[in-house]
Amino acid sequence: MISEFNRNKIIDVALLDEKTLAVHGILNDSIYSLELDFKVNLSDLVCFEIEGRWLRYTTPECPQALNFLAQAEGFCLALGIEEKIHKTVGRTSCRHFANLLIECAYAVRETAKLIRYQEAQVHNPELTWQEFLLGESETGSNFSQKAAEDTEDASVAVSVAAPATGEPAKRLPTPATGKSGAFIIDMHMHTAPASPCASDSVEAMIAKAQRIGLHGICLTDHNYLWSAADIRSLRKKFTFPVFRANEIVTEQGDMLVYGFYDDVQGIIKLSELKKRVQAAGGFIVAAHPFRGFLTFGADDIGLTPEKARSREMFQLVDGVETLNGKVTATENGLAREVAEGLKLPATGGSDAHDSSSVGLYATAFTRPINNEVELLAALKTGDYQPIKFR
Amino acid sequence: MADNILKFSLNRATNVEKLDDGNLLSVCHLRDTFTEAEIRMVVKMPELEIAEISGHFRHIYLDGIDNLDDSLKKVLGVRVGAGMLKIIKGLLGEAENLDQIVYMVEECCHGVILHLTKKVLLKAPDDPAGRQEFYSEMVKKSIRLYDRCAAFAKGSPLVASLEAEKRAGGRF
Repeated sequence: MISEFNRNKIIDVALLDEKTLAVHGILNDSIYSLELDFKVNLSDLVCFEIEGRWLRYTTPECPQALNFLAQAEGFCLALGIEEKIHKTVGRTSCRHFANLLIECAYAVRETAKLIRYQEAQVHNPELTWQEFLLGESETGSNFSQKAAEDTEDASVAVSVAAPATGEPAKRLPTPATGKSGAFIIDMHMHTAPASPCASDSVEAMIAKAQRIGLHGICLTDHNYLWSAADIRSLRKKFTFPVFRANEIVTEQGDMLVYGFYDDVQGIIKLSELKKRVQAAGGFIVAAHPFRGFLTFGADDIGLTPEKARSREMFQLVDGVETLNGKVTATENGLAREVAEGLKLPATGGSDAHDSSSVGLYATAFTRPINNEVELLAALKTGDYQPIKFR
Repeated sequence: MADNILKFSLNRATNVEKLDDGNLLSVCHLRDTFTEAEIRMVVKMPELEIAEISGHFRHIYLDGIDNLDDSLKKVLGVRVGAGMLKIIKGLLGEAENLDQIVYMVEECCHGVILHLTKKVLLKAPDDPAGRQEFYSEMVKKSIRLYDRCAAFAKGSPLVASLEAEKRAGGRF
């Protein structure tokens, strides 16, 4: 038995003075070795004087990460700060420093609780943890509120649209087709603030789609259902075909769902989603089914098309996204081979999260599509193909 | 005040080993001032799906988790990869006494990913120029690395050739 990979993390927290904690964290694994030192105000769990050190790293540019650690100064390390650490330290510095800081934040919260318990015991030596915690919830929730406010600063809050009914079939003024006669729709894109991970507004995305000559777009915000009224308004404002869809998270990955207007929140089992979409007459496409990792892909782990086809997911979907703008050519190629092998129809979409990526990939339909009813009907015919649009 | 005496300390160890059938066993063990916990996970290869999972959790002030192994079974079949944290959190729930369990499941998955990453990184040349080229090609092959951290940030020498291709009208 050989251990192929080891990661060890050690966090120490000491009481520097009555108001301040000193935190030291070490992450040492088979690839990286790094350390963090910082201080924390005990009263509000705000951290300051952060210093990092690399002992081992990979790329020649990794040392640059140290220059961005100061962004975390002023963070309240209460529960809920993890997302903000991922989005700031993880994205601008290094995700391994972010991982260590999140671990340190957990240790800080536990230490603060221990200190408050010990202080309370001075007045009441018989105090149990359960009794202490009963009186503790108010202080704890204040910290959590501060962390939640910090997190809202880092990402735009998303309001959930009210469930909408299916859009009535309604013709657009002048549906256009390309020189080849194909009607080209970017079937996968995200907008802000509907998708927290997106950065451009729906107006910016539509404007870009019009400018580059797409014939329509599908809004596939994450577990977010646009209202039919909002879509009508956008279509009217831009005189451009905009369709509603949804990217729903299942235990087997993300699914693009067309012609289905339930407001699904949280994680749903794919088998359950299939039942509901089938009952509604909708259409499920497996989104980027082989989206891999940052440094290795399916080819590195020996995942062949034959093995990949046996995944349960492919028995439950109606189609496969074989051109996705956010994955590698190898990953798209594997999706294509699986779709071909299973004789499932294939779609393409940019998966754009900002306007610069709109239309990288799209789906070419053989005839104009005016509304969501026609889009759904077209998807079911299988008479279309994914294309590289630009 | 004896500031050399710790108020709190934590040790977390994650280990990944290859089993005889080619699958991977990932174990995350936590021991801190308040907690003793472990998650053991078998990941089926090459599908990278969670095939077996079990664990235990003891904490000084949090309630134990009834039927923890049954709760953990909710993540069976989940694929280790992009987007997994959202799925794991959604399936296991976000109760306070599950928070650490969710984190440890995630750590087991990260261990598997880093083990597979290590195999790729072992191919990096030793000389500086070779390393520069190796990582420049890596970000081109996996565009999601671009602007994902300080090393691959816009303007970094490691993304210079990618940005040149972008300016020339490439796909990126």
